[in-house]
Amino acid sequence: MKPASLRPFLPRPAIRRRLPRPSRQYALQTPGASMLQVFSDQTKHLQRERAASNAEASRRVDYLRDEVATRLCERLLDVKRHFPSVLDLGANACNIARALTVPTSDSPPLSTRLSHLTSADTSPTLLHRDANLPFNTLLPSHTRTILPPADTPLPFEPKSFNAILSSLSLHWVNDLPSFLSQINKILKPDSPFIAAMLGGDSLFELRTSLQLADLDRRGGVSTHVSPLADIRDIGGLLTKAGFRLLTVDVDDIIVDYPSVFALMMDLQAMGESNAALTAEKGGLRRDVMAATEGIYRELHGDGGESVPATFRIIYMIGWTEGGGAE
Amino acid sequence: MPGRTRPIEKFAEAVTKCSAEASIYGKCIAADYNGVYKDKCLTEFMKLKDCFTAAAKRR
Repeated sequence: MKPASLRPFLPRPAIRRRLPRPSRQYALQTPGASMLQVFSDQTKHLQRERAASNAEASRRVDYLRDEVATRLCERLLDVKRHFPSVLDLGANACNIARALTVPTSDSPPLSTRLSHLTSADTSPTLLHRDANLPFNTLLPSHTRTILPPADTPLPFEPKSFNAILSSLSLHWVNDLPSFLSQINKILKPDSPFIAAMLGGDSLFELRTSLQLADLDRRGGVSTHVSPLADIRDIGGLLTKAGFRLLTVDVDDIIVDYPSVFALMMDLQAMGESNAALTAEKGGLRRDVMAATEGIYRELHGDGGESVPATFRIIYMIGWTEGGGAE
Repeated sequence: MPGRTRPIEKFAEAVTKCSAEASIYGKCIAADYNGVYKDKCLTEFMKLKDCFTAAAKRR
């Protein structure tokens, strides 16, 4: 039987108005524009600005960035050359600049092997936090550049750097493929890109405890920890961006905290709180927080006073094409 | 931060005082963490909550 329809009783204009249908097309990605947004750049910017405005608290939680910056600079040590121009992309509080000035046991500080360092970051407060500290004078030449918001192209000329470093900032980039190919373009031929980013199973203890606490207290799971890139994806991403001679490796840094609250407060002071777009507005409820503390200690604690938190750092080295390296 | 304690710090301190209750609650969840559902450990949690609410009032 034909379903009943109102169509014969409708006045003519009502029918006609529906006729000019928009033609259907496949959605295409505009070049340069990100298709998938995972993080809110605005939220992240505010978190970092706010965290850096309290310089004392912000310096206290530099332990992770300083450690990773030091390990990253060790990798630069293996490249036996002099770098006229180096870019530190996503410099945070210029932790790499500081690490470069520290002398190692068997060699002078790395800063003697470069002529000019550019530290670039989107957060001006964080970038200029340590502008008056003594390590700044130890660098041969150092500029701080404030980057435009995340989805605009990088403000550097093509082929202008002999090396690009990046420490603990790539994990907040929404469109990693496009960002990496931009990095590839502003590097000179046969130059290294050396980066460290948080990835994979970082903070898995916090993630699992929050999920269990959420399930028991509220009956569902919500995003409290931002998603991170997996180590398996990094090689493919770098290759697609045009890098050659890749080296990717993983390093776990396990930090002991007195409680889950201390961990969460430290993450906040680093400006590394959750910024996923799917995050619940208003943040964690106190009931869930208290439940998390109990579960975290029971599942992951070692029975002592402190609880461990794992930061999984992915190190990557890629070279631009050209020159005699291949 | 001198002179001013953030509310979250007070809350954290109150919860840390209830480590015994938190441990009982944690054990209840950890006993079968693949089968957690809403209010699975309600009684244990209420004991924990009573404890940290009292601890927060005491100071």
